[in-house]
Amino acid sequence: MNNVAVVGVGYTPVFVSKRKDVNIAEMISESVEAALKNTNLTPDDIDAVTFGNMQTFEGLNMPHLWASEHILALDKPTIRISTGGTTGMSTLQAAYYYVASGLYDTVMAVSWEKQSEGDSQVGLAGIVMPEAMVMVQHGLDLFGGGGLSAMGGGSTGAAAFQAMSYLHHSGADPEHIDKMAALERSNAALNPYAHLRKKTSVEDIQATPFIAWPLRFGHTCPTSDGATTCIVMSEEKARKLDWQVAWITGLGSATSDPSTANFLEGQLTDPAEQMPAKLAAAKAYKMAGIKDPTREFDMAEMYNGFAHQSLMWLEKLGCCKEGEAHKMLDAGALNIDGELPTNASGGVFSTNAIGASAMNRPAECALQIMGKTEGGHKIPKKIRKALSHGWGGMFQYVTVMVLADEPAKL
Amino acid sequence: MKRKVAVVAQAQINSADVGMPRERMLFELVKGLYDKVGITRDDIDTFVLCSNDFNAGHTISNVFEDCPIGAYMKDETKVEADGVMAATYALVRILSGLYDVALVVGASQGGSVMRPYLMMDYMLAPVYDRQLGLMNELSMAGLEARAYLDAAGVSADKLDEIAARNLAQAARNPDAFNGKAGVTAADVAASDLLYEPLRQGHCYPFTDGACALLIAGEKKAKELTDKPVWIKGVGDSLDTYHAERELASSRSVKLAGERAFKMAGIAAGDLEVVEPSAKFAHQEPIILESLGLGPDGSGAAVSPSGGALGAYAFNSAGLVRIAECYKQLTGTAGDTQVSGAKTALAHGQDGFCMQHSAVMILSAEEG
Repeated sequence: MNNVAVVGVGYTPVFVSKRKDVNIAEMISESVEAALKNTNLTPDDIDAVTFGNMQTFEGLNMPHLWASEHILALDKPTIRISTGGTTGMSTLQAAYYYVASGLYDTVMAVSWEKQSEGDSQVGLAGIVMPEAMVMVQHGLDLFGGGGLSAMGGGSTGAAAFQAMSYLHHSGADPEHIDKMAALERSNAALNPYAHLRKKTSVEDIQATPFIAWPLRFGHTCPTSDGATTCIVMSEEKARKLDWQVAWITGLGSATSDPSTANFLEGQLTDPAEQMPAKLAAAKAYKMAGIKDPTREFDMAEMYNGFAHQSLMWLEKLGCCKEGEAHKMLDAGALNIDGELPTNASGGVFSTNAIGASAMNRPAECALQIMGKTEGGHKIPKKIRKALSHGWGGMFQYVTVMVLADEPAKL
Repeated sequence: MKRKVAVVAQAQINSADVGMPRERMLFELVKGLYDKVGITRDDIDTFVLCSNDFNAGHTISNVFEDCPIGAYMKDETKVEADGVMAATYALVRILSGLYDVALVVGASQGGSVMRPYLMMDYMLAPVYDRQLGLMNELSMAGLEARAYLDAAGVSADKLDEIAARNLAQAARNPDAFNGKAGVTAADVAASDLLYEPLRQGHCYPFTDGACALLIAGEKKAKELTDKPVWIKGVGDSLDTYHAERELASSRSVKLAGERAFKMAGIAAGDLEVVEPSAKFAHQEPIILESLGLGPDGSGAAVSPSGGALGAYAFNSAGLVRIAECYKQLTGTAGDTQVSGAKTALAHGQDGFCMQHSAVMILSAEEG
């Protein structure tokens, strides 16, 4: 196994609802150019490209083919990875494996989404509908059943089940979701690459309408246009750079089953139980030599399409005991200047170009470790170990990546 | 390569209409493979799926595929490209040292569920090419065929001969379904003309298919089988989307081949079996020539399995090419066996006119 580092990150200049000034390939190229500029690399320095997004959201099949020049992949080894919400991190993990394998020294991982060119909730209905069909076959009334009507809220409807379960098991109140939402939106206001950049109070969040109890409009992520590119390097190459790089010291992924209501097995899969998160985290921590995840991380970037998830994932990933995350929030520990700054970037909750969202998590960790964060969301302490996370599908996919200022001892 | 890695087992299904949902097809295939090898899902360290949202008809195509293949609560990822890329990624994950045993599974149902040509239409640039309606998989293949025939100075009869040979071979391969025993070039020449000079008989059949490969590092490979087939080299390359690129030869195949030959430390002339993903008859000589062989393979056996004309399911097709090489190198290819074959090359492709190509070189000898 070779040590591998993230040496640079490139974002599109903005993440917004609609980029009308560029097409998909042009938008992606902006992040690729930014990554090269930030690393002083040229296209010839890139050995291979990994690429990912959720292709049915734009109705474009295998878009790396059309965009081959725009992602500087012409005549290069190129692989397309797509795993749902986790796509961005899966794509970065592919770049990690390419370098760790010894086949390549410098690999560029490109992820993006241009949600304005499609309808993501229609795309997601394609995986919700088979679930609904099973329910209908088993005699459940889609329109009369209170729980199932939540599906009308698209992914928010599905996440409502999870939020309910989280509140029930953790002892947190709905107001904690409001508070986490306000914290992250206010963090996002400091981040020039965030989409929803407005300092927000708990009262602002509580003034928004409910979509599906207990989730309000103010608890949900936006749909964004944007792209993110990370460049990873082998230790041999990365050591020659004259700046602090961010070492990938641990990674893991795990999957559960796609059913939030597993009727065929005669039992419910609780979307807040999250065994895959525990499995993926255990693997990543073992690899990274993390013995006590409640103490060792200096920051965390959780994939949170919905505001309750930041708290839920911290528990599932072992950053605190179950039922403790909302107490950390109350104590200020999750603030940018707290013990475990969580989603200092504003999280997916404030910026969601879906294919890129799970790459933005480790990218933000890398920028904080490298000291290259732009804007006011820079964490005011030395970041040595950082935790990043992604989830996707019907909550069953989880990816975890640990980054650090020093490589793991091999 | 940092460690020796081998293909230790294969299983495949190919059919015009497999008569069951994709999930059931995957369960039957992979459970069969586990039973054949004598392992369970617990023996798999990492699952690499290979499928495509457009062929699945819903987003996150692996969402319903994980449980049927036993990936529940396991490490899992998905490649959305040709099967050779998925197998390459499994190799890369094993080479990283973090995993010993990988299961690669590719599937699609282009025979009974999705029309493959439509899937290709969605690869077109959305604003101009897709709206214009001139470019589609067949029209582009027709241009490619014409470019090759003109450059090679041969007539369309050559395409009929290539197709007839592949279809006859496929009839001898129980894993292919589109074989036609006793077919002649004249029979192919009598098939419908689609886009000059392309005829129906030159084209891959719409296929429901799945293929699973078990890939393992040296120690595990030797535990799992007496006849591991060693992966000696891989290479892939992405060409430009734009249609004005050279079509009579393939730059993506050429570069992919060069990379794989360099890694394997062999030359094209050392190959005894070549399994190209020639979705259309004319692509077979283009691939062979771009690899550095003659149009007939320079002595290597070309597509003894019947190739893509015998069966071609998106995503699983590239894995099937590797599986067919595996059968040849383990002496289990039955009526299509090439006597004493030791070194083989599998090729896979994506995009119009082979815009992206990937190759894998396999050997019966550990070396």
